[in-house]
Amino acid sequence: MKTFHIVIECVSYQTRLYVFEKVTVSVVSRCSTLAFSAFCFLTSKFSADMVEQLLTLAQDWGVQVTDESFARHLDSNDPLHSFRQRFHVPLVKDIPKSDLGLVNGEEQCVYMAGNSLGLQPKKVKVYLEEELDKWAKLAVHGHFDGARPWVYFDEIISSSMASIVGAKENEVALMNGLTVNLHLLLLAFYKPTAKRNKILLEEKAFPSDYFVIASQIEMHNLDPTSCMLLVTPREGEQTLRREDLLSTIEREGDTIAVILLSGVQYLTGQLFDMASITHAGHNMGCVVGFDLAHAVGNVELSLHEWGVDFACWCSYKYLNSGAGGVAGAFVHEKCMHSVKPVLIGWWGNDRENRFTMENKLKLIPGVRGFRLSNPSIFLSCSLQASLEIFTEASMPALRKKSVQLTAYLELLLQRIINAESKEQLKRLKLKMITPTDPVQRGCQLSLQIPMLSQPVLQELERRGAMCDIREPNILRVAPVPLYNTFGDVHRFVKLLKDSFLAVILKDQNNIP
Amino acid sequence: MKTFHIVIECVSYQTRLYVFEKVTVSVVSRCSTLAFSAFCFLTSKFSADMVEQLLTLAQDWGVQVTDESFARHLDSNDPLHSFRQRFHVPLVKDIPKSDLGLVNGEEQCVYMAGNSLGLQPKKVKVYLEEELDKWAKLAVHGHFDGARPWVYFDEIISSSMASIVGAKENEVALMNGLTVNLHLLLLAFYKPTAKRNKILLEEKAFPSDYFVIASQIEMHNLDPTSCMLLVTPREGEQTLRREDLLSTIEREGDTIAVILLSGVQYLTGQLFDMASITHAGHNMGCVVGFDLAHAVGNVELSLHEWGVDFACWCSYKYLNSGAGGVAGAFVHEKCMHSVKPVLIGWWGNDRENRFTMENKLKLIPGVRGFRLSNPSIFLSCSLQASLECDIREPNILRVAPVPLYNTFGDVHRFVKLLKDSFLAVILKDQNNIP
Repeated sequence: MKTFHIVIECVSYQTRLYVFEKVTVSVVSRCSTLAFSAFCFLTSKFSADMVEQLLTLAQDWGVQVTDESFARHLDSNDPLHSFRQRFHVPLVKDIPKSDLGLVNGEEQCVYMAGNSLGLQPKKVKVYLEEELDKWAKLAVHGHFDGARPWVYFDEIISSSMASIVGAKENEVALMNGLTVNLHLLLLAFYKPTAKRNKILLEEKAFPSDYFVIASQIEMHNLDPTSCMLLVTPREGEQTLRREDLLSTIEREGDTIAVILLSGVQYLTGQLFDMASITHAGHNMGCVVGFDLAHAVGNVELSLHEWGVDFACWCSYKYLNSGAGGVAGAFVHEKCMHSVKPVLIGWWGNDRENRFTMENKLKLIPGVRGFRLSNPSIFLSCSLQASLEIFTEASMPALRKKSVQLTAYLELLLQRIINAESKEQLKRLKLKMITPTDPVQRGCQLSLQIPMLSQPVLQELERRGAMCDIREPNILRVAPVPLYNTFGDVHRFVKLLKDSFLAVILKDQNNIP
Repeated sequence: MKTFHIVIECVSYQTRLYVFEKVTVSVVSRCSTLAFSAFCFLTSKFSADMVEQLLTLAQDWGVQVTDESFARHLDSNDPLHSFRQRFHVPLVKDIPKSDLGLVNGEEQCVYMAGNSLGLQPKKVKVYLEEELDKWAKLAVHGHFDGARPWVYFDEIISSSMASIVGAKENEVALMNGLTVNLHLLLLAFYKPTAKRNKILLEEKAFPSDYFVIASQIEMHNLDPTSCMLLVTPREGEQTLRREDLLSTIEREGDTIAVILLSGVQYLTGQLFDMASITHAGHNMGCVVGFDLAHAVGNVELSLHEWGVDFACWCSYKYLNSGAGGVAGAFVHEKCMHSVKPVLIGWWGNDRENRFTMENKLKLIPGVRGFRLSNPSIFLSCSLQASLECDIREPNILRVAPVPLYNTFGDVHRFVKLLKDSFLAVILKDQNNIP
């Protein structure tokens, strides 16, 4: 007999939109499938409700759900609307590929690429200049003096970072880049034995993660082909069914040393049920870790509560810290004394010992002992500017807006593009790869389009819109709650339709 | 019979000060000591000559060598004097601990801590603002567009970086922090066997290096106490005699896997003879690497020519890139195809493959294949500002401490203030003032 606890944390809204309560379903069952069916029923009910809510609102406001005025209504009711002002939004005229014959250069572009590189918080420049000024004035004294003592300012902002990932402060460190951190964590957590030596990952894991895992396995003189356990979607599907992930863990778990999945899948936009995966993994004696590159700042995380063993993330996507910003790492408190870093350097040494210049090592317990090199004050500043905004906006509020914003995007794609019935445009059928269930996705929607994505992106950019693509035929569209508006989404869908038409016309007329 | 090549690169000056020529001494000898004695003779002759020159100059100028006016003469004859203007030199009034009763607040401080944190090149702010502007205007397009495409701008400035360490461009990568890089390099280069498993280091190695080496050894399930071979100075001495270093290598070399020394010792300031150490190490089948934290931007390096296997350095000391600036790593071209990184990530993947989002790995040969994560454009900018100040006539570098921005006047003032400080401390002691 297996006991399943399904905790469904539901979105609850202050407005008249809809109210769900926190639902805890305890299902005692011989068969896991029953529990998950219950879950699926509840989640699909949620997404249907989202659409229902939007339609009801439009009706209340006396507009069509596809009208621009509906977007304006939604924006004026958005409590987070003003956060956009805190960011630099590119103007159409400054984007290299804009065609000023098609779009007004003075307008802000429609930026849907925040999942690739977040926009710049205006405060980044202010804070950088403060530290440049301090460096100019104090030089070496800046290490310990001033508002941001360079030696430990990264630790000061770690507390905001910890909130965003649902961790305790001592479970989080800011350091290096994501891939470096992933290696450092796996060195400590991946300890293969003869029997238990596999690493489970998703088939379409971000290539860097694939290389990390393969090289970690090879480092132990094991064979990646046998030790990498890739979970693949079912035939004809693109996302991983939760029950398949969990049943794989149950079935293979005895031989799995580490489960390493993304939190949000970069390609499909699928949000994995990290709580259940962690639980299932631990049940089978596996270590469970997550690459949160696309999850952090996007969806709500409770790493500590879920019992996740380790995690890492970059900060230049939804955390808006700029290209190559400082990365993060998490090690659960419960591992604090049992799991030690393999590679050690002076920055993992307790600050009291660190500068005495003796070879006395008092390793800081937990993830901060994993730090090797001294941190960059510039990178701390740029992240600080963004974390402050997150603290003020709060992840629950951001997520609440995001769920609605992305549901709105999905609805418009269906109604403005897919519902198109005119003969020549019938081929404009977008297939959404990302789950429709808001609980199973973040802000990003991945769309499979019936033509090459590169030409479509070109047309979008000519019209002052930006998103990410994966060749040959996928668009990744990420309306980010911090700075995107419902107006952005409406405009984007319109421009996307125009772009499709442009590509079709060029095809027909053999224009390259 | 051992052949020693001693290359002594001497300073050569345009001015009337003095002229040395490049002296190459080939000594064929059974005993290394002879060669090194020859070297020592030559070097001590050089330092004696330095003093002689200064004294002669002072005489020529009709001043005492301890006069402030002598410092002024030296500064006005310093071809590098104008470089100071490119840096922000702190004013006394802004330094937390200045006593404005003792010194004029509007003066620039006497900054002799460039070995700890270099001063800020004025261009850092300009370049950072350019990239902030680009990020604001182009957002994600900044990766490939603009004057500094974020995806590979670090590679563009790597060529200046390579010149400074005497390396070929493909032997140098900018990435991570020094300690991270040292670990990545040792993972690839430290491959202990039953017989050859020691790492040689100096006794007073920077503690981070000590921890790195100890943890690397432990990672191989070996015992640091037996596998760390520390070279100690002789009784009563603080620096390591070259002949002792070299004889240690000769004596113990069969069991040494890696020789890892600093280029310039952080505590004593001693500059090691990296060419000879590398040669001696290779003679004994050891891998030779250097931590150049205090050497890069300070002394002349010819890593490629010397045949050094690997090296790493930080950039916030003499390279003036700011606290936590991006670090560097070097892997000799000869290792390019034989030594592979152990830890791999997408940034070591050839740029053509890297963004196709397939699991196709075409590892870049050499040190650039060691890169794991995408670089920070801010850190590239701040380093760029400093690398541009690279002196094109490296044979003048030996003259002054932190020659980029310190002056002879600084040195004179410093020594005077040091004397005053000593007196102040002594007086406070005598009067029991804390």
